[in-house]
Amino acid sequence: MSGVIHWQGRALPYRAGESVASALLRAGVFSFGRAATGQTLALFCGIGQCQGCLIREGGRVTEACLLACRDGMVLTPAAGGDDV
Amino acid sequence: MMSERPVVVVGAGLAGLAAATELARAGLVVLVVDQAQAAGGAVHRQPLEGVAAVASAAQARRWSGVMAGVQAQGARITLRCGTRFGGVDHTGAVLLSGALNALIRPRALVLAVGAREAVQPRPGWTLPGVMTAGAIQTRIKTLAEAPPGRVLLAGSGPLLLAVGAEMCRLGRPPVALIEAARPLQPLAALGLPLAYLAEAAGYLARLLRARVPLYWGAHLTRIETGEAGLLAHFDTSKGPRRIGAEVIGLHDGIRPNDAGLTASAALPVLRLGDCREALGARAALADGSAGGAALAARLLGRAAPPAAPELDRQRAAQARLARIYAHDGAARLADLPDDTVICRCEMRTLADLRALGPAPTARALRLDGRFAMGACQGRFCAEWVGRIIAPTTAPQPIGATRWPTRPIAVADLLAASEDLEGETE
Repeated sequence: MSGVIHWQGRALPYRAGESVASALLRAGVFSFGRAATGQTLALFCGIGQCQGCLIREGGRVTEACLLACRDGMVLTPAAGGDDV
Repeated sequence: MMSERPVVVVGAGLAGLAAATELARAGLVVLVVDQAQAAGGAVHRQPLEGVAAVASAAQARRWSGVMAGVQAQGARITLRCGTRFGGVDHTGAVLLSGALNALIRPRALVLAVGAREAVQPRPGWTLPGVMTAGAIQTRIKTLAEAPPGRVLLAGSGPLLLAVGAEMCRLGRPPVALIEAARPLQPLAALGLPLAYLAEAAGYLARLLRARVPLYWGAHLTRIETGEAGLLAHFDTSKGPRRIGAEVIGLHDGIRPNDAGLTASAALPVLRLGDCREALGARAALADGSAGGAALAARLLGRAAPPAAPELDRQRAAQARLARIYAHDGAARLADLPDDTVICRCEMRTLADLRALGPAPTARALRLDGRFAMGACQGRFCAEWVGRIIAPTTAPQPIGATRWPTRPIAVADLLAASEDLEGETE
């Protein structure tokens, strides 16, 4: 394990190069929040096609399955706050 | 970035890199982009640093051969990972975002973005913990690690066997494998290439050794939240059954990943590999090489090279495989409960679809029903919408293909536009 990412106040370890979705799953985080359309956001296709695992990092909403973990990264649910 | 206008290749898997190698060999400059953090594509997805590879020796040999071909071209091929393709417009501008954020005008565009998985809608398929079998395989290939908890695999297709066998090898066998078809018919398997049979036999041996319950001709009918984790209900020839799991990997086949891939009047746009016709790894490699060589000949005004016979062989093998895996699971769409979600993006249900009348037009499906209007562009619902409204005909796309291939942040668009303004045409 090479560092931590922060999700909802929890510091979670990750492996270098691992995606955010992958690190969250290992920690038992299956739901990443809820979309405006009511869909629970969670890992589904794993390769950026379904847009089902959207997550917020800073001002940007992106697919958790494609976002590589970086040490100290702060992640929050996609809903709430404006997209850039 | 490059003094000579490059050919842009999207996708650093077998097809994309084979095409790039042929283009560079002909003297062209090639920029290959891939959304992943490393080259490999879905088939040759590489393990993270420090992770033991799960690929077989044969797979590893094929991949090192492809990479050696790329490296032999030196600076004529540039590979940029962590870079997403947004689309190509009518002026021939290609939008890239991520590690390389740019709007560029290549000489030609090669789309080699692979396949996607089909997943048939079932009640509960939107619950967290339900994912594609491919998502589980991605995890296995990059981390040599199965998802946490009990894992159930269900649906139909050879990928379920592959993922199940890989989990066994990691010491984490799935709790069961539920396959809608009955593929174990020795007579039907005659005529399949030996490599296919050897692969399948290897997977089955692992699953049987690990005593994984294998259900053939069985259908996963619905998933609900159980007391602990998820509870899957499935029909077998001996009646209904249930099984608990934390993770359920669904898979109902492979399709070309062609959403948002448009042509452009301003430059040649070519699709190669699985995104053109989903025929698997061997075909993708052959198609990439042949397509890359043909495009190079076209751009340089040379005679076109001969077509690749490998493609016909793989097409025949895949057709046989499809017959072996034939089943009537799609008929179950008609009996789904009204509140079953069909469109995952906007949670549109079967009742919403039925409310559009007996034969809704593409316009009604999109504007009134909002099917294929969500962020995934219908990748995961269009086929099923088509099968529900017209069960006897092949599903049609819902409306015209449009770019972008995915939502793009305004900040990325603005940053990329500035790039193009600075270019001289």
